[in-house]
Amino acid sequence: MTPDELLAVVGADAAVGAFGCLTLDVDPDRWLTTATTLRDAAGCDFFDWLSAYDDGAAGLAVVVRVWSVEGRHGVLVRTRVDRDSGSLPTLTPVWAGAAWHERETREMFGIEFTGHPDPRLLLLPDGFEGNPLRKEFVLASRVAKEWPGAKEPGESVAGRKRPLGVPAPNEWGDA
Amino acid sequence: MSVPERSRGVIALKEDSCTSCMVCARECPDWCIYIDSHRETEPAVEEGARPKTRFVLDRFAIDYSLCMYCGICIEVCPWDALFWSPEFDHSAGDVLGLTHERETLGGWLRSAPGASAGSGQ
Repeated sequence: MTPDELLAVVGADAAVGAFGCLTLDVDPDRWLTTATTLRDAAGCDFFDWLSAYDDGAAGLAVVVRVWSVEGRHGVLVRTRVDRDSGSLPTLTPVWAGAAWHERETREMFGIEFTGHPDPRLLLLPDGFEGNPLRKEFVLASRVAKEWPGAKEPGESVAGRKRPLGVPAPNEWGDA
Repeated sequence: MSVPERSRGVIALKEDSCTSCMVCARECPDWCIYIDSHRETEPAVEEGARPKTRFVLDRFAIDYSLCMYCGICIEVCPWDALFWSPEFDHSAGDVLGLTHERETLGGWLRSAPGASAGSGQ
């Protein structure tokens, strides 16, 4: 199945992303129907992975990759959800293997997957507060430890220089 | 040892090439490279010239309990002072033993391909 044929089947706006990987961007309300179509009409029977990334003001992007074992074609499907109240329907009815991935994505990003059969924490301990893969999550090790790169050449005492992308501890948290 | 010589086992330091520029310590994603240095002034070589300032390394250490062996420090070093060595058997019974100071890091040079030629990486 060529990328064009795939697009015709799914009927989505698409862009061919990096490394020639076919990427479908869909609205959250088409998340489940797109997945079902991919499995039933495009032969994407193999669930590869599902995860998310923090896209700042644009919200949280959820990405799933599926593959056709027989047709040897794969596709990335991506959608964006709201930072505060983001939720998506679970893909477990389409691919049972999505269950663990959605549990991990839920705890790491704070995205609810409605209808998930077993929405327990997967990796984090019970009672863990926060979503560690969100940008605003404060990494304790980056606060507790002095940055070794803060020294200038010729110095043995750390200066005030801070690493790129790591805000001062008291500025952290206002994402 | 039966691994290929270009295996990425441990990182070696060629002290003579290091200028204490801090680039590796700043690029390290794990914050596991510790460098202390001081400034020394050498008298001017001829009359009218300015005295020369250079940085002298006091400490160079890599904490292998944190290092994830990404090799970014080797890539970014502008002076070709860091090299991959294929020696991988540097486990320790104590976590403190995984911090290799400059002498230990220098010792890995013996097996680091390219280090003696000064060709880098």
